[in-house]
Amino acid sequence: MTEVSNASVSRELIAFRIGKQEFCVDIMSVREIRGWTPATPLPRAPGFMKGVINLRGAVLPIIDLGARFGLSTSEPTARHVIMVAHVGGRMVGLLVDAVSDIIQLTDEAVQPTPDIASDPVKSFVKGLFALDGRMISLIELDRIIPETEAEAA
Amino acid sequence: MRDAVDPFEAIKVVFFQECDELLGDLEAGLLAIESGAADGETVNAVFRAVHSVKGGAGAFGLEALVRFAHVFETLLDEIRSGRKPCDDLTVKTLLRASDVLADHVAAARGQAAPVDEARSAGLVVELEMLTHGETSAPAAETSMTVEAAVEDEFGFRPVAFSFPGLGDDPAVEAAPAGEGWRVVFRPHGQMYVNANESGLLLREMSRLGETTVSLDISAVPDLSDLVAEEGYLAWTVDLVTDAVEAAIRDVFEFVESDCDLSVTPLPAGPARVTVEPAPAPAEEFDVAALLMRAQAEVEAPVTAATPTPDPLPIAKVAPDASGVNAAVEASIAKAAAAPPANNVTPASPAATAAPLAPAAVTIRVDLDRVDRLINVVGELVIQQAMVAQRVVESGLARSSGISVGLEDLELLTREIQDSVMAIRAQPVKSVFQRMPRLAREVGEMTGKRVRLITAGEDTEVDKTVVERLAEPITHMLRNAIDHGLETPSERIAAGKPAEGTVRLAALHRSGRIVIEISDDGRGINRERVRAIAVSRGLIAEDAVLTDDEVDNLIFLPGFSTAEVVSDVSGRGVGMDVVRRSIQALGGRITIASNPGKGSTFTLSLPLTLAVLDGMVVTAAEQTLVAPLTAIVESLTPRPQDIHHVGGHDAVIRFRDEFVPLIDVALGMGFREVPILPETGVAVVIETESGQRAALLFDAIQGQRQVVIKSLETNYQQVDGVAAATILGDGRVALILDCDSIVASSRKKTAIRPELVRPDVHRPDFKFAS
Repeated sequence: MTEVSNASVSRELIAFRIGKQEFCVDIMSVREIRGWTPATPLPRAPGFMKGVINLRGAVLPIIDLGARFGLSTSEPTARHVIMVAHVGGRMVGLLVDAVSDIIQLTDEAVQPTPDIASDPVKSFVKGLFALDGRMISLIELDRIIPETEAEAA
Repeated sequence: MRDAVDPFEAIKVVFFQECDELLGDLEAGLLAIESGAADGETVNAVFRAVHSVKGGAGAFGLEALVRFAHVFETLLDEIRSGRKPCDDLTVKTLLRASDVLADHVAAARGQAAPVDEARSAGLVVELEMLTHGETSAPAAETSMTVEAAVEDEFGFRPVAFSFPGLGDDPAVEAAPAGEGWRVVFRPHGQMYVNANESGLLLREMSRLGETTVSLDISAVPDLSDLVAEEGYLAWTVDLVTDAVEAAIRDVFEFVESDCDLSVTPLPAGPARVTVEPAPAPAEEFDVAALLMRAQAEVEAPVTAATPTPDPLPIAKVAPDASGVNAAVEASIAKAAAAPPANNVTPASPAATAAPLAPAAVTIRVDLDRVDRLINVVGELVIQQAMVAQRVVESGLARSSGISVGLEDLELLTREIQDSVMAIRAQPVKSVFQRMPRLAREVGEMTGKRVRLITAGEDTEVDKTVVERLAEPITHMLRNAIDHGLETPSERIAAGKPAEGTVRLAALHRSGRIVIEISDDGRGINRERVRAIAVSRGLIAEDAVLTDDEVDNLIFLPGFSTAEVVSDVSGRGVGMDVVRRSIQALGGRITIASNPGKGSTFTLSLPLTLAVLDGMVVTAAEQTLVAPLTAIVESLTPRPQDIHHVGGHDAVIRFRDEFVPLIDVALGMGFREVPILPETGVAVVIETESGQRAALLFDAIQGQRQVVIKSLETNYQQVDGVAAATILGDGRVALILDCDSIVASSRKKTAIRPELVRPDVHRPDFKFAS
């Protein structure tokens, strides 16, 4: 995101809903949005790993973003949405309740995350901003995938 | 020659590719000589390899490489002509020289650090000593040649081309000394297609003596008939030199079949047209000036012949300036642009066909293209399975036209897939070839005498597997020499020959490739291994381990038996690294050791990382795939065959043998409560190390070929899962890693489980376990 180093440059974000909260990510990191399809569970995976699905021949891991943030989640239904995102050289599917909006935003509008220490959401939230009276959290996707234990396996 | 740099670089790439092949041939030839399996032709082939490297290097002005190759070549020539016996010492020296030559090539390529000068110089001295050995009259000339070449640090004088061996020929002796030769050189278009350049050949000749070059343009047709790719030019070179005819012909060695060449003794009288005054041999021959003049000369008559050039052909020949100019350039600097028909992969300059070796017809194809093809075929297989499933679901009869057609389609699909995979199959030779050098170097470093025997180099395996084999084999070979073999004195004391033998073999076994590395060294010292494992807290002091289990302790992380951390192996990374990289390939590594007699490491890897024959099973509503290669038998357990050892570890009787019964769904966490064995299906598998176990599933769906999809691309490695695949219904199914499932179920027995996973903090777990 070097091109947005100039603070007045606006960028596009894609907003989505998990429960009653709204979040957004940089639109450039989202490749496509698709409906929920049942995933194949992985053994001994953390709770937020919903499993893997077939994305046109590639095996795509699905992360339940709500569970990842430590929010309470329900079983996914056909109305849930998978955002296919490019994170750190990998493709992941992010399970969210619904995609709500595409937002234009300048960096100045983003406020730093207030100190609400114990909330696990905080480690993923880069900042907050207000839009039409709603609060939307800007998500840093790089931290979504846990740095794997793959090295040790 | 406006963009002369790029074509030149392109040729250089081809040259280095050829160098790799030549160096491989060289080493193979020398090894054949060493083993006594060589004939006269082998020596010739070895000589030619070095000579070709030198020739090419000369053309690129790689002085250090040329100097070394020259000394090397001189000795080989002595051997070739039979004046030098090829004894053991000589071959050993030649082998080391081939290593240094490879270093020189790598350095010239910019891939490696500059060559170790001391080593190179030392070998030069050794080679010279061998060359001088016991040769008499012609040796005087040889030694002068060699010394001139070696001592002349800054400007290599290519006296190299006057082979002393050829100087003996009486017919050649009769050549008029001091006068020279008239060389008429008429290249065909093919010569340019093969990336040769007449300018370089002329320059090469100018190094032999004083040259007077004249250009014959009489064959250049009218512009309208001119084919840019054709060769119309001919050169007459009057060469004043002492060099013999063969030396001149050597210059044209690689283009002989692509040109008309005549070499005749120089007649009296001056040459007709002097285009280029002869430069001093060591100086750079001004090709550009020569070409400019050549162009100027060509331009005049041809433009005169076609006063009103037809615009169409000009456009065809070249879009810019004067068509003739471009055409002459095109034919002279032809090396750059091989015609598209010849160019299999336009993206890579390496695609220009190698001029030598008329053997099998091959093409060089970008690996990306093959990969894309394989991916698409993979999709085809999946799609075909999907269609098949839909047909079954639609309830059509088996004899219906669609079903029958689908079966044919399945056969075809499978054949396409096999053919595509065969494209990627490569012999393991490319990896094995590097090993003799490694063995020599490690042997030298550790003061051990090693004989490396390789077998099964032609065993074919998928390219991705070949590439990733090099590292583990290197590691294990080092280990075998450094840790396995004893020093010569120890060996003699143990009643063994002073020279240790390491055998490296590849073979196909039940759909996998097996690599064996065995040595006849001391074998694993089990007591020491055990003591170290205890002292490092890897096993409990009172653990009861079988010999096999003790041997396998060396694969544990952080285990290194070397008492002194040597330079060769034992940098703290040990066999666990090897095992990990093998496992990443879906392979296994096992060890068998016989104290005092040696050890054998066996690697077993899948032939391909793309497809797999599997058995599709169901466990706790999940569809899983078990690799067919591991499966021995499947059976429905009877209650009377099930027994429980201790508390709850179930075993099943299978042909008078009790094997552990593992509930896979339970082990993978897909369910909390085990199913009753008699309600499911037991699949008896055999692990790589030969242990048997029965995996308990709910049901078997059938047998199918599946396309392997990596989990690691987008996620990470998962214990108990080898990879994933996509089934006919479009869903992802996991492919089981049977060995790791068995291993994790018996981990708790001898080796404490937390130590198998180095990511776990040990101190915390001391109390927990």
